This record gives sequence, C-alpha cells and structure tokens, in this order.
Amino acid sequence: MAITVSIGIGTNTDVAMAAHEAAMRAKQQLDAEAIHLCLVFTTINLAKPVVLKTIKRILPDTPLVGCSTLGVITEKQIYRHAVAVLLVSLPKDAYIHTDCVQEISLKSSVRAGEELGNRLIYALKNAPRNFGTIFSDGLIQDNSSFLAGLQESLGKSFPIIGACASDNLKFIKTCVYTNDAVFNDGACGVIWGGKLHFGVGIRHGWRPLGKPHYVTHAIKNTIYSIDNAPAASLYKEYLSTDLATLRKDLKHISALYPIGIDLPAEEEYLLRNTVSIEDTEAIICQGEIPQGSTIRLMIGTKESCLAATRKAAEDVKNALRGKSCDFLLVFESTSRYTLLGRQANNELRIIKEVLGEKLPILGIYTYGEQAPLRAIGYHGIPYFHNQSITILGIGN
Amino acid sequence: MPDLFITILGLGVILTWIFLAMMLTIKNARIKELRLESIRLKRSLDEMDEQAKLIVRTDMELNKTQEELDKKISGLYALQRISRAISATLEEKRIFELIAPEYVNDLGFEKAYAILWNEREEKFKSQMNIGYLPEEKEQLDAYIDINKGRYLKLIGEERTVSSITDAPAEYAQLQTEIKQTFKVEDFVISPMLPKEGNKGLIFVGTERGDTPINDGDEELIIILANQISQAIENASLFEKTWKAQQELEKKVMERTRELTRALNEVKAVSKRKSDFISSVSHELRTPLTSIKGYAAILLNEKLGHLPDEVKERLEKINRHSDELVHLVNDLLDIARIESGKVIMKKELLDLRYLVREVADLLGVQIKGAKLDFAMDIPDSASTIFADRSQIQRVFINLIGNAIKFSPEYGKISVAAKSIDGAIQIDVADTGYGIPQDALEKIFEEFYRVDNPINQTVKGSGLGLSLVKYIVEAHGGKIWVKSRLGSGSTFSFTIPKKEN
Repeated sequence: MAITVSIGIGTNTDVAMAAHEAAMRAKQQLDAEAIHLCLVFTTINLAKPVVLKTIKRILPDTPLVGCSTLGVITEKQIYRHAVAVLLVSLPKDAYIHTDCVQEISLKSSVRAGEELGNRLIYALKNAPRNFGTIFSDGLIQDNSSFLAGLQESLGKSFPIIGACASDNLKFIKTCVYTNDAVFNDGACGVIWGGKLHFGVGIRHGWRPLGKPHYVTHAIKNTIYSIDNAPAASLYKEYLSTDLATLRKDLKHISALYPIGIDLPAEEEYLLRNTVSIEDTEAIICQGEIPQGSTIRLMIGTKESCLAATRKAAEDVKNALRGKSCDFLLVFESTSRYTLLGRQANNELRIIKEVLGEKLPILGIYTYGEQAPLRAIGYHGIPYFHNQSITILGIGN
Repeated sequence: MPDLFITILGLGVILTWIFLAMMLTIKNARIKELRLESIRLKRSLDEMDEQAKLIVRTDMELNKTQEELDKKISGLYALQRISRAISATLEEKRIFELIAPEYVNDLGFEKAYAILWNEREEKFKSQMNIGYLPEEKEQLDAYIDINKGRYLKLIGEERTVSSITDAPAEYAQLQTEIKQTFKVEDFVISPMLPKEGNKGLIFVGTERGDTPINDGDEELIIILANQISQAIENASLFEKTWKAQQELEKKVMERTRELTRALNEVKAVSKRKSDFISSVSHELRTPLTSIKGYAAILLNEKLGHLPDEVKERLEKINRHSDELVHLVNDLLDIARIESGKVIMKKELLDLRYLVREVADLLGVQIKGAKLDFAMDIPDSASTIFADRSQIQRVFINLIGNAIKFSPEYGKISVAAKSIDGAIQIDVADTGYGIPQDALEKIFEEFYRVDNPINQTVKGSGLGLSLVKYIVEAHGGKIWVKSRLGSGSTFSFTIPKKEN
C-alpha cells in the first residue's frame, strides 16, 4: 500500500479563511481513512496562530509541524501569499513521530539539537528509523551546532533533511509551527520509520572563482581572518567596495557570491551565506566554517542554478533506484529565488520533467538547508548547506 | 705505489668535487628555474585572481542591470495586463477588483491600497487592499480618515510621493509616516485624477529593503494611476450616459404611452364619427330614395297631369334630392375609406387614357365654360398603379373644381412627371385662386373657401376631402399651390408600381 498525500492551498486575503480553504481542500482530496501527518507552510504574512487553530479545528487529532517561508512551492506554481497544507496517510507498516524544541538561544544550539533528537526518537525507539525532516527558525545563527546536537542523539550518519524557515527576505522574524503553536527560536521535526524509502538530491550550481584562500582564524560560524587579513577583506577586494556599502548590500552580495568550502571528493563546494559583518570585519556565516579550510568566492548564474536543479532531481531518481515515489518535498534557498527571478518557475518544470508530471510537490524557500553529503568518505553525514535546492522524494 | 695511490685518490677526490660542483650548479640552476616558475605561477594566479575580481565586479553590475531590466519588463508586462483587464469594465468598483495581487507583485510590490474621495460623504473610501489583513486594512482606513486633509492636498497638488522622492519638509514627514503606517520599506503613492468621477490615490509598497525602488518604478505607478483614472473616467461617463439614456428611454416610453393613448382616443372618435356618418348616411339614403322615387312618379305624371308650377317644384325636389344623394354617397365613401372598408383594386393604368376619359366626360362643361384643356403626360409618367374608378373620381373632382372656379377662356392642364417610384400629377387652372390662409384647410371635410363663386355655386365641401382620402389610400400625397387671381395647381402622387 502506498503513502497517500493531498495538498490544499488557501490564498484568501483573510488569514483564517486562507487556512480554512487550505485544510478543507487537503482533507477533501485525501483518499484515506487515517491522517498521520499535517505539514503546514505559510508565507510569512500569514504566519499567525489563527492559521494553526483553524487547521486544528478541522484536523484535531493530526500532528502538525511546519514553518514560515518567503513563498510556497507547489507542482502548479509558486505562491507569495498562501497557506499550504500537506496531509499524509501512511500504510500500516510505516510510522512517524513529530516533536519540537523551543528557546534554542537559551539552551545552546548543540543541546537544543540533542533535545529535539531525543524527543523525536523516544516514540520510535523500538521501530526502524529511516530519516528525519527538520524545520528550524531561519535566524538561528549557529545551525551547524544545532545539527551536530541532533546527530548526537540520532546518530552521526542518520539522514536528516531539513529546512530553515524564512521570511520576506527581511531577516527579521521566521516562525516554526507545532500543533497550534507558532514560535520563534525553535525547531520542529518529523522522524519517519518503518517500511518507507526516500531519495534525496542536493545541489546548488555555484562555481569557484579566483584563487583559493585559507581560513586562518575561525570559531564555529565566525570567520575572523582569511589569509591572515580581516575576513571582510575578501569581499572588499573582490567587489572593490568599502565596509559600509558591503554591509548595506550584504544580503544581496551574499546571495550572489557566497563562500564555498572545498570538501575533498565532493563534486560541489559547501556553501556558506554571510549573515552579518562585525565592526572587526569578522564575517558571521549561517553555518560552521572550520579553521584551516580552503575557501573560494563562488559565483552562480541562472543557467548553472537550473542545471543544478536538474542534477538534484536526477540524484533523487538515482537514489530511489526505481522504487516508487509518492510525493516530493522541496527545500530551496531564498537566494535562488532572488537569482532566478522570473525563471524561478523553470525549476518546477525541470523537477517535473525528471521525476514525473503528476507527482505531488510541496516546497518552501529557506534560509538554509540540511542534507547528507554525497561522497562516500562522508558516510552520509548531514551537513548544513546554503544556496542549495534539496529535493526529498518519499515513497513506500 | 703509495704515491700513485695517493695521486689517484687525490684525482678521484678532485673529480668528485668537480662532479659535485657541477651537480650543485645544475641543481642551483634547476632551483632557480623552479623559483622563477613558482613566481610565474604565483603571478599567473594573482593575475587570474585579479581577473576574477573583474569578473565579480562585472557580474555584480550585470546582475544589477539584469534585475532592473527584469523588474522593468515585469512591470511593463503587468501594466499592460492591468490596462487590458481594467479597460474591459465600465464599473468603478470592478476596476479595482481586476487589479490582481500577481500584477502588483510583477510591478515589484506586495502591498497595494487605493482610495477614492466621496464628495457627498466627504470621506475617502477604500477600493482596493492587497497584502493587508482585514484588521490592518481597517487601521489604514481609520488613519486615512483622520489624515484626509493631507491626502486631499496630494490630490489637489497632483503630487506623487515615494520613498525616494526628494520632497519638501512637510512631505518628508509624510514619507516616514507612510512607511510606518503602511509597514513598508519602499512605496509610491500617486493621485488618480479622472476628469469625470471620483478622484483618489493609489498606494503600492514593498517590505523588501534589499531592492530599493527607483525613478522607473515611480513612473510605472504614475502610468498605472493614469490608466486607472482613465478607466474611472470611462466608467463615470458610461454611468452618466447610461443614466441619461435610461431617463430618455423612460420619457420616450411615457410620451409613446401618451401618444398611443391619444391616438387610440382619436381612432375611437374617428371610428365613432365614421360609424355615425355611415349610419346617418344609410338612414338618409332610404328616405331619399323614396323621395326621389315619388318625385319621379309625380314628374312622369303617372298619377295625373300636373300644373307647370308643381312640375317646376318637383324638378327642384328631384335635383336637390340628387345633390343630397351625391353628398350622402361622398360621405359614405369617406367613411368607408377612412375605416379601411374600401379595398383599392389597384392595377396598372394608362394615365393618358384615364385623363382623356375624364376630359371627355366633362367635355360639355369645359366647352360650356369656354376653357382650354391641355394634357402633358410623357411616356415615362404614363403608367400608374391605382384603382381605376377611385382615381377617376379624383380627376373628376379636381378637373370639375377647375372648371367650376375658372373664368371663361381660361385654361385647365393636366401634367405628369416621374419622381422616386411615383408619378406626380399636377392639375392646374387659371381660376380665381385660393387665399393663403385657406390652403391648409382646403382638404378638411365641409370646408369651403369663402369666394364669390362658392356663394353662388353649390357644393358639399366633401370633394377635396374625398380626393385626399383616395390619394392617401393609394399611398400618395396631395397638396396645393395657389395664388389669388392667377389660379391653382393641385398636385398628387400615385405609386408607379406595386410595392
């Protein structure tokens, strides 16, 4: 028996009505007796408790997780104002469990990750666990540590495919949802177990430019010096700009020219977005950059981005090894939306071309993605990524 | 031997030294070469890096240009779609409903809000709300209501304000206020100034601070405001025209109803009149026939010889009875034609033959009055489509009148000509003529022109009425031109052929 899913979209200007529309459409479309999971994604303007309360009134007993986003991606189009509800009905021999962690900043990222991991596996301790999907506040600065915490409890090589919630590119507030609670500074997740299979593809399409540089001083996600010069010099030199202009245009610059960490045997560099630049010219990234790493400034084009999307979709197909796929989850960096502009819809076309026209797709724009690296040497260990498109195909 | 050995050893040492020195020299040269190569490579790498920097800077510029271009293309495309959508409606409220959120997004904004000034209620009324929740919209409405004076001023001054406008101090404060109230980083607010209909303002804004708006965005919104103004103007004009048309239609219907009522009344009266005349005529005819019959019996002296005085009186009775029968017959004919009871047996007639017949019939009177009779009917006007006996009556009446009112040695002429599908026939005389004030009444029943002849010659005053009825029953017209002392021309038209 296959996994049954349905997707409902609500676009009403009234928040409660949009939520009602989405939940009712999803419920009516779902051809199954039991509903095991409700994934909710909303554009940031609709990230309100009333959305979850409305959905919970319609689906009182279904565990709900989700987060806010810049835009909702479906197989039909990209919505900039929408509530999306994905309902999942699992076959008998498949299981899921959802849970959340709050106040990450008060606990330290590692401990918060560990706590969420423990909560997630608690309910499935006696069942085979396949993979996890995590949704975290996109403004948590040390995402790599949070992921490390998760790996502490779930296992180093346990596949985690995650997304960092986003807002409308203002980087002011992103939200995470669990049942009827909307919160920041937290994360929620789903552990999938039993007879389920999945395939994941993660690519970005950015290419290295210029000579390699060495991270001479870095702690976690803060780079203090590159080639023994203040870290911000990298951008100042390449873009021929001063610190003030750099800080002003940072979101834009970081989206177009992220820092790439050279990972031996990996086909692509591991990308890092710059969140802010300190007065000391230290660069704060969204993920960890180890001291001593060889880094490059990266450059992307629309074409290379779209080629990466195709490769990611092909990776999913290859990973599934001919097994069926019942639906796709897409976690895609907001930077790609900025770079692709009007061509953003082309990614959907490519995914459908590779994986099938009729496959239900639900996705979000993210401030960071988590997925395992491909090279064998990394033993499937999940890493924190930026600028990437992560496609997760789930089937039974 | 030892010396030889020492010599050989020394030579060997020297050779080794020489070899080592040579090797050292070669190695040094190689090291130097490698060092140079390394310097060259480093230089190449630095040059490549410099090129990479140039590429990044160029790419950055290209990206900016591309983004602006994309934004402009999207904006223009959105503007075109909005224009097409709103030009399809003539309803003011619908204009704003047709501005879909995706159009606003394509213009580079996520939020839009529009208000129109209601003159009667003296307040702004919101027409469009995109990107604001219902409670936020209510707050905006309240804010606009409190600050309506300032926004009316924008309309009055036809001023567009945006987050990048280098505005005077008073507007600088408004800029900040709009940003805070409308919760946006960048915005454009532009007046909508239709020549007809309500004036207002359209606001568009974006929360995204990373892609600031520019002059091009401001221009796009001004164009959008103008397009909406044009649509409002069209809607307003249409509403006015529609209302006027409705009013006119209402009046026309009322007037038509009145006229129909009047016409029905006239018809009813006319019918009553015709019925009355018809019944009276029938009632008169019977006794008249008896009178005429008895008079004839008496005159034939079948009942005995009559004295001459009695005969004279009986002849008078007979003559007057004939006149009365004639009058009653005319009245009956008029009544019949008027009520549509007489069916015109139309056929193609030779006009010349017809006129000659009548002229022969009245030949004695023409000769008696010493009148000249002429006929001018060309081949092109020699055929008419009419009822023979009725048209004969027309000619008898008209030529008879001409004879009656023409002095001796006068002239009567009948001419015809072809005009637009009909034949116009003119019967002219050189008689006394008709006064101008009588021309309009001459075809009325029982009307007789006040002239010396009418005072001596008897007549019913029905002849011309009957002529008019007969001509009109044929689908023709009749009219008269006359000058006192010079004569009259009666003209009428008869169709050439069947319609």
